[in-house]
Amino acid sequence: MEFDFSPVIDYLPTLLQGVGVTLLIGLAVTVMSVIGGQIVAVISLYTRKVVSWPLRFFIWLFMTTPLLLQLYFLYFGIGEWILIPAIVVGVLGLGFHYMAYNADIFIATIRSVSSGQYEASRSLGFGHLATLFYVILPQAFYRALPQLSNNMIIMVKDISVLSAIGIGEMVYVSQYAISVTFRPFEFYITIAVIYYLINLMMEAGQSWIERRAAYRR
Amino acid sequence: MDINLMIEIAPLLVKAAWVTVDISARALVFGFFIASALVALRTSRIPPIRWLARSYISVVRGTPYFVQLLLVFYGGPAIGLRLDPFTCGVVVGAFNIGAYMSEAIRGAIESVESGQNEASRSLGFGRLETLQYIILPQAAGLMIRSVGVLAIILVKNSSLVSIISVIELTYQAQRLIGSTYKPLEVFTLSALMYIIIIYAVMGIVEFLYRRATRYTFL
Repeated sequence: MEFDFSPVIDYLPTLLQGVGVTLLIGLAVTVMSVIGGQIVAVISLYTRKVVSWPLRFFIWLFMTTPLLLQLYFLYFGIGEWILIPAIVVGVLGLGFHYMAYNADIFIATIRSVSSGQYEASRSLGFGHLATLFYVILPQAFYRALPQLSNNMIIMVKDISVLSAIGIGEMVYVSQYAISVTFRPFEFYITIAVIYYLINLMMEAGQSWIERRAAYRR
Repeated sequence: MDINLMIEIAPLLVKAAWVTVDISARALVFGFFIASALVALRTSRIPPIRWLARSYISVVRGTPYFVQLLLVFYGGPAIGLRLDPFTCGVVVGAFNIGAYMSEAIRGAIESVESGQNEASRSLGFGRLETLQYIILPQAAGLMIRSVGVLAIILVKNSSLVSIISVIELTYQAQRLIGSTYKPLEVFTLSALMYIIIIYAVMGIVEFLYRRATRYTFL
């Protein structure tokens, strides 16, 4: 069997569009899951049990069930009652999934900030919330950065799963191209190479972030 | 919540859950052998073999499992590799988790102080004997923990095999949502089954961890 990559070159603009969609989703999910994870962590640490326990239950539920099942539930399940566009379901589903993982990291790093910091800040006249925002959370955030970037590298690879609910990212676009050209091997190899390149860039970014975080800590 | 419907679909989901367990267990066992081989290759004395093992691990960890599955299942026939869906799930799962697991095993072995190795070698143990009697018993605790985490990831990853039409838990759940229009009930039951499987894995890992660290202080 000889390989013929000319169909891949023909469909290159479409594939690059898919890459663009993948990167945009990655950006949206990163923003949502980092900010959301921070909020979830703070709420589940500093509020009454009535509020924090349901939240912890949701973290636990998102961490113990597979992403694909969650996506099917959100898309085919909730879709029975309210019709939500696939792209919204995809970003929300992936966002919630990684929000749970990020919240777990934030909870650990907020706890790891020594209690002396809190006491010192309060005795200097900061209120409870001011202490949280200006003293505790910045320190916790820099400590969380290495693990957060690790999670985001895993997340970008999980974007490929979103093709299962019909979002036009790389894999979905190439599946369409394969259905026309019947060249599955060439297209999937190309996708794998693109993902690998994205991954290498993100790993470089991660080590850059880690150096910066070590400097700010 | 429609309890009667849940009781009605439970047997179907249990059967599908067994496929999930089956595929994950096989991939874990094969993955462990692949991982051990990779660790051996990574510490080889011949540089090209080391580079080969390292780039294999890097590529497998750098591309999505989902794309690997599609590549082998749909792209495989182009290079003469025809697998039925179940076998494909096991093979790709094993090669995927093997790469991650080799890093976990290597990390556990490297966590044992190098003085242990040197002391053992100077007492006359050979390289393999040192590994077998000195290093591995001390590395076992950490190794079991980190392989346990990967086993849980493997169970959750097995849901992706539904895309190549293996009738496992997620595929069955999607079909049932499609035919009953009762997503909440189906989701609750199938999520419950994943949780039971994952807790069972955690229990086994905890048991093995206790056994492996009976005589060591960690």
